[in-house]
Parts: sequence; structure tokens; C-alpha cells
Amino acid sequence: MAKTTIYAGLEIGTSKICVVVGEAKRDGTIKILGVGTAPSRGVRKGEIVDFDTVHTCLNDALVRAEDYSDVMIKNVFLGVTGSHIESVNNRGAFRLAADQSEITEDDVEEVKEIARNVHTPPDSISMHSVARQYIVDGVEAVRQPIGRQARLIEADYHIVHGSLPRIQNSIKCVKEVPLEVEDVVFNGIAAAQVVLNRDAKREGSLMIDLGGGTADFVVYADGMLTISGCIPLGGDHISQDIAMALQIPHGRAEALKVSEGSCLYEDIPEGEMVRIEDDTGYVIGEVERAFMNEVIYLRVKEILEQVHARCEGQIGRLAAGVYLTGGTSLLKGIDAVAREVFGMKVTRAGSAPVSGVTATFENPQFSAPIGLIRYAQILDQEKPFLSPLKRLGKRMADLLSVAL
Amino acid sequence: MVEYHRHPQQDDPNKPALRTCIVGIGGAGSNVLDRITLDRTVDAQLVCMHTDIRVLGHAMAPTKIQLGADLMRGVGAGGDPELGKEAAMFSREEIRQAIEGHDIVFICTGLGGGTGSGAAPVIAEIAKASNAMVFVTATMPFSFEGRRRLNQAEDALQQLQKRADALILFENNRMGELILPKDGIQKAFAQADQLIAQSLRAVSTIVSTPGLVKLGLDDLTSALSTSNGRCLFGFGEAKGQNRGSEALKRALKSPLIDQGRLLHQTKTLLVHIAGGESLTLLEVDAIMKQLGRHVPDHTHILFGVAVDAKLGDSVSVTLISSLGLAQLNTLAAAAPPSDMLPLTQRAMPSVVEAVSTVPVPAPAPTPVAAPAPAPKPRPAARVAPVAPAPVPAATPVPELMPQFVPAPVVASPVPEVLVETPAPAPAPKAPPSIEQSMDLLFKDDEIISMATQQEPEQPFMMDEPELLQIEEELQAEEEPPFSMDSEEVFEKPEAEEPEAFFEPEPPAPAPVPVPAPRPRIEDFMPSTPTPRPVTSTLAAVVARTSVPAEDLAYAPPANNVVAKKPVNPEAQIDFSFGEQDRGRFKDTEPALASGGEDLDVPTWMRLKKKLKR
Repeated sequence: MAKTTIYAGLEIGTSKICVVVGEAKRDGTIKILGVGTAPSRGVRKGEIVDFDTVHTCLNDALVRAEDYSDVMIKNVFLGVTGSHIESVNNRGAFRLAADQSEITEDDVEEVKEIARNVHTPPDSISMHSVARQYIVDGVEAVRQPIGRQARLIEADYHIVHGSLPRIQNSIKCVKEVPLEVEDVVFNGIAAAQVVLNRDAKREGSLMIDLGGGTADFVVYADGMLTISGCIPLGGDHISQDIAMALQIPHGRAEALKVSEGSCLYEDIPEGEMVRIEDDTGYVIGEVERAFMNEVIYLRVKEILEQVHARCEGQIGRLAAGVYLTGGTSLLKGIDAVAREVFGMKVTRAGSAPVSGVTATFENPQFSAPIGLIRYAQILDQEKPFLSPLKRLGKRMADLLSVAL
Repeated sequence: MVEYHRHPQQDDPNKPALRTCIVGIGGAGSNVLDRITLDRTVDAQLVCMHTDIRVLGHAMAPTKIQLGADLMRGVGAGGDPELGKEAAMFSREEIRQAIEGHDIVFICTGLGGGTGSGAAPVIAEIAKASNAMVFVTATMPFSFEGRRRLNQAEDALQQLQKRADALILFENNRMGELILPKDGIQKAFAQADQLIAQSLRAVSTIVSTPGLVKLGLDDLTSALSTSNGRCLFGFGEAKGQNRGSEALKRALKSPLIDQGRLLHQTKTLLVHIAGGESLTLLEVDAIMKQLGRHVPDHTHILFGVAVDAKLGDSVSVTLISSLGLAQLNTLAAAAPPSDMLPLTQRAMPSVVEAVSTVPVPAPAPTPVAAPAPAPKPRPAARVAPVAPAPVPAATPVPELMPQFVPAPVVASPVPEVLVETPAPAPAPKAPPSIEQSMDLLFKDDEIISMATQQEPEQPFMMDEPELLQIEEELQAEEEPPFSMDSEEVFEKPEAEEPEAFFEPEPPAPAPVPVPAPRPRIEDFMPSTPTPRPVTSTLAAVVARTSVPAEDLAYAPPANNVVAKKPVNPEAQIDFSFGEQDRGRFKDTEPALASGGEDLDVPTWMRLKKKLKR
């Protein structure tokens, strides 16, 4: 019985607000029904700074998505990001009772509880806690501990947490539309679900979602979610750098970056110029291409170096290399810079193939919103891997219904 | 080493029940005492002591002692421990009479204020002198009460630690964990009082009620025997179905145990289960099994069961253990500092403080030495041990009183100590410590007890406060025949030693500030920024492009390089965590490895700034 569910994913990004409507099929595939985007104003570094403006933009995107997909959107999965999001791995240990030799479901529940119990800073909430592995009497990477003979069971958990007030602000903004928020998902984790396939996760890979205001990164090693986080630097910073270097308005710098920008400057012959035009096509000036590209290069390199610094301990064990996604990953030459920074294979990737609006999934800009649909699907399938998330989702919802 | 009587209670089956006395000192102490009085849970003599006559008037304890009635005229000590101490010294006789003849003296007090911090050590001293086991329950002030009160509390705590056989410390800061945040403040304080009352009751029950599986004072001391540690205490009581596991759960919930997490480290754990006549073996079995999951295999579990008809349908579980400072520190290292138990830092800072304050010998000695009415005559001290008078403890005091002369040289007790302690050689030159001023006041007491307590009759042999390893070594070396002597001995070394070691060699304090310059190392790392720019077009173009100077104005002083290393290479890095490697989030936002730069400023601009220099 092929039961399908329609989900909507909403990402309030720094450069654009994006609503994706998708159909999650029982067999694990996704069909994208419609996409609505609107340029975003009032968002800075992935966080809402101006409610009213965001509200307007959000309505635009929503209406477009509804028109496109012919679906009335009531509930959304909200993707959030921001520098407040942080992750940690925690291990909980649980010793079986003396007369008991086999691990039961209760023991697993107990060890999960212990592993999830992490000291978080005040005002923060755990967004995801994902089981990475179980360790049974020192045997690592056990996926299914129930029924095993053991004395000691340990659980490794990956816990992503964020600042509660900031997340609540995002939710509040969405609720005013009005939309119901089914779950709050960290963009990086959502994007990784569609960008990284099973092999990439198993071999070990780093996914960087280079967005407008933030770079979200997720590391999978040995098939386990190992690091996730967010660097508050993104494409907007590149545009800003260009604007200040060339003394042109930000909007013009943004356009220039998209049309002419590249990270490669070494092979450009000296004296090659880029013309800067205004809206009417009138040329208002020229800049040296190598200079502009170097400005871009420096910033891109810095962003990637920041990610590198945060993942340093795992870099050596990522066989599948680096996956770049997100709007900024469209920048020319960015893979070369990433190769230089990380010293390993770099793949530019959009979402894994899904049916539906084909132009959408190939565009790395939409990795995160499509990932939200995939995330919802995984949640629905209640894979053991993500089953705690569902409970968390409920907890989140409960908490928010109290808070708001 | 000091030998223990393994089963002191069984030596004499006809021995009457232990006589216990609970002393509440100061405002906090009298609150706890009120709670105990109202609950009627403990079979003990209750004594309330305070300087403030009004508080005393409201106290419900049957025996009340106004401290320093003449000196204070019924007014509180006003947050000054010196006053509190003097008041207690004035009322010494009354205190002695009230306390005397008890086997166990519980002292509960709130540290930080005047009466509690000042009088409690004096009273502990007197109790110790009367050959009782002294068990102190103290509360530390809230952190919002200010640094000064905390310092006073810590000073008093050190005083108490030397005199008490066991010490349970409650942190007001952690009191919030007892209750829901929404509950009223009154409830919060009531809960805290309740917890303290419970602890007193539990301890007195453990050591006094006859049990099926008996736990004695010896077990209690061995559970608390970690040197210089912190006492872990948990108490839970429950009724109805699942009462056993419910009680255990509550015991583990105690903020002092940190949800059972601190138990992972303990070497010895005392578990006492008490219940009404309906207590079943199955329940006990279930509780112990459940508890076994929270403690490592090698933990020595001291187990006791008692049936107490008073408990009726309910079952109570008491957990007592102690954790050494080292273990606490490893835990603290993993924890965000704000969240961590203040005690963990306690002993460490005190050493550091001692070091840092060496040049300025604490202001205490001079002002205190002068007004102190008590300080002992040195000749008396010398003579007394030579001619041992087999008199009971109380009597010689009045005789000695008239002989009191103003304090002699402040440093004079030091050499005397050194004769007995071979350890710290350069001590004679050590400046008077903060401790000493305090000790001067006690000197007479100590000496009196030294002179008088010749009868080596020790009911419990509890004369080894679990403080420092030094003490044990000292005792091993000289086998003091009675408790106060040894007390007197390690009183000094403990106070002096840090200074004795640090003072003569000035470089010693240097290691303390070492961690600070760590980021600087990265500053000196050459060529961390992109090596190319020097030859790049940027350098050339920088010269040509006419960027207004004010644009550069908000580029930060670029004396830092982009650090390659993460500022916080924390737990995330590895799969293989250590034992204590429990994940904890830092309490700040994730620090970017920016080396202090403002990353919003364009990269090229920062680089240019650097190139220009």
C-alpha cells in the first residue's frame, strides 16, 4: 500500500526564503511538487532581525509555493541555522544488573536517556539527538544491541543544540503567517540527508552548505553523524568584500559576484578588466578582474578555513571527501580553493535525484529545503537511526505550545 | 597509622544508646533546628545558639544559648566572624556544659555570616575537646551574596574541616535544583532546611539504631575517608508501590550527588536502607541492584539495613560517600565553570590565595591579636604537658583563665609545631598566616585540652578528620595518644605549609599565570595567513585603488593572525572518549577560530592592514 504524505519545508535564509513542497512516498523516494522562493530581507547571518520584513517575504514565498504545487500548506518543517547552533558527542554508560546477561529494550532506553543527558548552557535546547553507535562490552559500532549478551552497554549520541530564544523567534515568525511548525531542523543536517548518500556517509565525508549568511557543515565518519555546526560567514560576506574593495553598492557587487565572480586569480593575465554596468547597461567603471577574484578568493578561503578548524580532528578520516552545496558553492573555482584548504577530493553537489521539478534538485541552493522533506520522510519511516528525533520533535512542540 | 576499633558498638553490648546532640548556630542553624524540632525525627538534645536574642527568642529548640551576652548585648554579629568568634569565646562555659557528655555532636550552621562562621569553629573545638565525634553540616552562601561572604565562609570552612570528624557541605547555589523554579522562595528555603535535617537524621539513625545489617561509625568514617574531599549525600524516602526504587531515585536526585553521576567515581559508598516492618528482602535486593548500575564494580559498598517501626510504610535510602578533590576537578574540567560545584575550586584557590597574599600578611593578625581576650600564656603551654593533670576536661579552664595575658609574639607557636613536624623545614621564617590569627584564639583551648585530656579513653577513635594526607603521615610518625594533640600538630603545618614552601622561593608562584599567554603562541606562528599575497595583485592593487582612509578605520588592529588551530578542540574530535569525557557544551557561543579578529570586516582589508605593518 503506497501511502504518500505531502510535506513542506521552509528555510528562512539570509539571501532567500524558500518553501519546498514535496511528496514523500513510502518507497523512500521524494517527488517535489513545487518550490516558492522570495528574496529575503531582514535576515542576518541566518537569524531574523526584522520580523515585519521577513513576514512579508515569507508570505510571498509561501503563496508562490502554494500556487506552484497546488497544495494548501498548513504545516512546515522549519530549517534553522545560526552561529548559536553547536553540537557535541556524548557517551552514556549503563551497567546491567548483576543477574541479567542480555540487553533488553529497557536497558537501551535507559542508556539513551543517560547519553542524551548533557549539560547544556542555560537557555539552550537540544534540537537533535542522534544515536551514533552502541558499544557493548567495548565492541564498537553496534547498531542493534537488544538481545546481546553483555555486562556493559554504552551509547554514543550526537547532540545538536541551539539557543532557545533564537529558535523560538523563528518559530514565532512562522506562526504569525500563520503556519504550524511540525519540527525544527538544523539546515546542515537536513541538507546532508539529500547531498550525502549512504556510501558517502559510510566512507566519511564533510558536507558544507555555503549559504548567504552562514556556512553549515556536517561531518559523517563511519556512517555516524560526528560533527555539525555553523559558521556565521557566507556569500553575503563575499559580496560585501567586493562592494568595499571596488567601492560599489552591495547589490551591484552581488550581481557582479554571480555573473563574473571566481576564486581563481592566478592565471588571469594582468590588465584584464571587468566592466561594471548599472541597471540600464551603462558602463560605470572597470575593475581589474584578478583583483576582484583575489578578494573573493581570500574570503572563500577564510570561510573554508574556519570550517576546517572546527573539523580538524576528523579531516583525516573522510574518504569520500568534501561536498559543497548551497548557493555560494556555485561560485567558480570554489572547489579548487576547498581542495587547497582540505587537501582532499571535493565534490560540488546538489540534492540527490528526486522526481518532480527537475530544475530544482540540481540546484545546490535548494539542498536544505529538499533535505527538510527528506528529513520529514525519514522521521516518518521511524528508522532506528532517527527515531529519537521524532520524540524530540514532539518534545519541541510541547515545549513551544507552553512557551507561546 | 591510627587503628580503628572495628566494631566499637559491639565491644560493650550493655552500653547505653549513643547520646547525640544537635547544635544549630546562627540564623541558618536555628532554622534547621526548628525543622528538626517540628519533625521530631531525631532523638537528640537540641541546642540553639545565636548572638541575636530576637532570633533566639523565636527558636523552638529546648535549649538555647545566647552567645556573648555581655559582649554583644543580644545583638547579632553583623556579618563579622571575628565578633561571632569572640562571642562564642565569651560563652564558652555555657557551650561546654550544653555539649558535654554526648557521644556525637552535630553542628549545623550557615557559613558566610558572622555568628555561623565565627562561632561554629569554636563550638566544634569545644565539642571535640569533650571527646565527642563532631559532625558538621554547613551551608555555603549564595554566590550573589558577594565575594566577601564567600571568603568568610571558606575561611570558616577550613577551620571547621580541621575540627570536624565529618563535614557535609550544602551549597545554597545548588538549592535551586531541589525545587521547581516556580516555587516560592519560602518553599525553597524550607526544602533546603529539610534536606539538612534529613541528613542529620539519616546519619544519626545509621549510627544509633540497631540494624539487621549494622553500620557503625567506623563504616561512616571509612565512607567519608577520602582526604580533603567533598561529601556526597543523598537521601530519599518513598511510600506505596515501587517505594524502593522511588526512594533510591530520590536519593540519587540529591543535588549533592548530581543525579548519580558523581557516584561513578567513588571508591567507597555507604548505603543504608531503612524501612518499616513491611520491608521485604526483595525490595532491598531491587534497590541494591538498581544502585549497582550507578557505581563501578570496584566500589566498596558498605551496606546496612535497619527496620525502624517509626518509618511505617515508607522506605528510606541513604547514600553517603565522598569524592576526592582530584576527581572532582576532573569533573569540573569537563564542566562549564558556571555550572560547576564551587567546592571543587575551593581548596585550590585557597592555596593560590595563600601564595598571592604572601607579601601582604593578611590584615587579621595585628588587630586581632590585640583585642583577643583569650590568647594563651606560653609558659602554661609548656608546663602543662610536663605535669599532666588527670583532671576532667572542663575543670582547668577557670583555673587557667586568670593567667591569660595578651598575646605574645604572633609567630611564636610556629617553632613549637616544627619540633613535632619534621616536614616543613623553612617554616620559622614564614610570615604569620591568616589562619594563625584564628588559631591564636584557640590556642588556649587546644592547650587546655592537651593538658587535660590525658585519659586516652576514646569511645570511637574518631580522631582523624579526613583532611590531608599529611595528617596521616604525621600521626604515623608520632602516634599521638589523644586526639587534640594530633589536632594541634597538624593545625599548624596545614596553615603554614603552603606558605613555607612558596614563600622562600619567589619563582614558585610563577607557574600560576602561565596558562594565560597561550593564544600568543599563535601570534608568533609565522606565515599563517595566505603566503601568496605578498607577490599577489592585491598588494599591487592596494597601492593603486584609492580606498578612503576612513574605510580602513574600522579594520581592527590586526596584530593577530588567523589562527589555524581551533580555539576549542573539544570533545567532538574523537570517538574514543575517556571515562570522564562526558560531553558538555561550552557555555558560550562557538568561538570562531578568528584569533580575535572581526570576521565581518572584509578579509582583504584585514590582510592589507597586516601587509602595511
